[in-house]
Amino acid sequence: MTQTTSSQAESRVMVQNRFSNVLQWIAVPAGTVVLIVAGSLLSPKFLTMSNATNVLINMSISGIIVVGMTFVFITRGMADLSVPATAAIGGILALGLGPALGTLPAALVGILAATAAGCVNGLLIGYARVNPVITTLAVGTIVLGTAQAFVGGVIVYGQDPQIKEFLTSRLFGVVPVIVLVFAAFAVAGHLLLSRTVLGRWSYAVGSNPDAAQASAVPVRRTKAAAFALTGGLAGLSGVLLGLTLQTARPAIGTGYEFNAITAVVVGGVSLLGGSGSVPRAMAGLLFVQVLTNIMVLQGVPTEPQGLAKGLLIAGAVALDVWLRNRGGAK
Amino acid sequence: MNALRKIGDSSWFVELVRVRVLVILLATVVVASVTVQGFMDPGTIGLSLDRMSTIGLIAVGLTVLLIAGQLDLSGGAVLALAGIVTISLQASLGPGVAAAVGVLVGVVTGSLNGLLVVVLKINSLVATLASMLMVRAICHWATDSHPISGKDPFFGLFVSTALIGPLTFRTVLFGIAILLLWVWLSRTVSGRNLYAVGSNAVSATASGVRSNLYLFGGFVFASVMAAVAGTVQSLAVNTGSPAFGQTIVMTTIAAVVIGGTRLEGGRGSALGTLGGLLTIAFLVTAMEYQNVPAYVQDIVTGAILLLLIILDSAVSGKNHNLLTIAALKRRLGRNQTPPEGITQ
Repeated sequence: MTQTTSSQAESRVMVQNRFSNVLQWIAVPAGTVVLIVAGSLLSPKFLTMSNATNVLINMSISGIIVVGMTFVFITRGMADLSVPATAAIGGILALGLGPALGTLPAALVGILAATAAGCVNGLLIGYARVNPVITTLAVGTIVLGTAQAFVGGVIVYGQDPQIKEFLTSRLFGVVPVIVLVFAAFAVAGHLLLSRTVLGRWSYAVGSNPDAAQASAVPVRRTKAAAFALTGGLAGLSGVLLGLTLQTARPAIGTGYEFNAITAVVVGGVSLLGGSGSVPRAMAGLLFVQVLTNIMVLQGVPTEPQGLAKGLLIAGAVALDVWLRNRGGAK
Repeated sequence: MNALRKIGDSSWFVELVRVRVLVILLATVVVASVTVQGFMDPGTIGLSLDRMSTIGLIAVGLTVLLIAGQLDLSGGAVLALAGIVTISLQASLGPGVAAAVGVLVGVVTGSLNGLLVVVLKINSLVATLASMLMVRAICHWATDSHPISGKDPFFGLFVSTALIGPLTFRTVLFGIAILLLWVWLSRTVSGRNLYAVGSNAVSATASGVRSNLYLFGGFVFASVMAAVAGTVQSLAVNTGSPAFGQTIVMTTIAAVVIGGTRLEGGRGSALGTLGGLLTIAFLVTAMEYQNVPAYVQDIVTGAILLLLIILDSAVSGKNHNLLTIAALKRRLGRNQTPPEGITQ
């Protein structure tokens, strides 16, 4: 008798678990589908090729950063607030050194400099175990200051319009090159996280650092790698942004850190570490971008969009916490 | 080499790190008074204190919240909204009542933050990021993204005119706030409870401290202080703008952390925060008098912040010895090579 009740209770828990799991997986894609249906009903311009491409181009720059931020979240690194600075130094160096070095070497220098800043973040957070928020804040301030000092505090203009045309030109007449770059990095990031040792280490470090340490997982190096990766990817985003705009202000990366955090959080990647994936973060990014796009098409002013975004973040995290408690998972 | 090891391990080195805020503050004052003519003038000091007071008021609230182990990114947006409310209601309610309503904005936003973090259990970094976006959106919405100016330019004058010697009203206000904070944190039971909540909220609850109440109260207090700062600032310039306070939270966090408060919670002090604020205020004033560009000021502030957090992590808790010279030498000696570089 008691056995039956306990097994009934167990099966109820299992059903609840399954429900939670399904809801976790289905919520964002289903929401996106609902948004797309709603968008196409609301505006005739929504389901057109040019609008879809627009959304994709807007996604690309943020998307590359989101890949790195996913690693930071999964390794329980809180968040990388130095993204605006690392993106700015990428863009500024790519344009500032362009005339002297040629566009591609200059872009490479920009990405390397951003990666170096990411490594400093990683060393301090991974090895010296300083709080990520304050570390990335301090390193970001220094890096941004250095970037501004490098150009004397003014706006840099690019002198290579060809690269701009190349990046926004359409390969096979459909997909802009910049979107392909983003797609390549998203796929690479996904494979790195799901198919390599570093990826497995990342999950181990995020879900239980002490257990990971005891299992001979290089906790420090894994955590540091997440920040180095984010630095490099933010640098790449800055380079792409600078090259497509052909101007780079020191404030070029402002807001990208919050955009990336929003996307990752809406995608259901937990701040508590250990769970989530690149595709889920991308789904979150797509959801936010489609929502923004619909609001823009509907003529909603920029300001209420912030309100919607804020509610979205709060709702997504509250749902994540609720599901975790309900599912009995950690 | 032995001499180096002695320095790293010696207790006076650790002691020096413990009072690092005082050391860095004294160093700033000495360097500034040597390089900048007239830096020690009461007028100059009063000016830098006056400019610091806005950040200082937010820092008082943030110190409490950081000790409780939480973070508030929404302070800058609350500052802007409180200023806008204060200025825009002046015509209908009169300047005094409008200012009071401006401060009340902080109660509302603080309760929102408390609701998100304490009730819905959202991480404070993300929760206050969300509320920052929302409050900033409301600021732009209410003003159509334009700065607004008040009806009575003379009402706010008292805020920034000298009250006691070279000290202005808002400097005195900040002084009283930090004094009360010091008394509360170091002399009362509830202040001590706050540290317990910040160190470990679960154990604090188990010991009979109502942790959630402290956390909720901390968010409301931090928001109210940001609203007070916003009200005072908007009165001083007779303007409310949705662009106010864009970067102020980062500067404030820097000042509080330079003062020895840790983001992990459970540690911090009012006097430390005062030291951090004074350091940044004097540093910025001195560099401005020397015509140092703003971005170089950022580099210097960032470097000091970085130096202090590294020193802090070096002398505290588990990481004791990790970054002392002797420990570094041991590490290098063992591995022959420095810790392996990070590859992508």
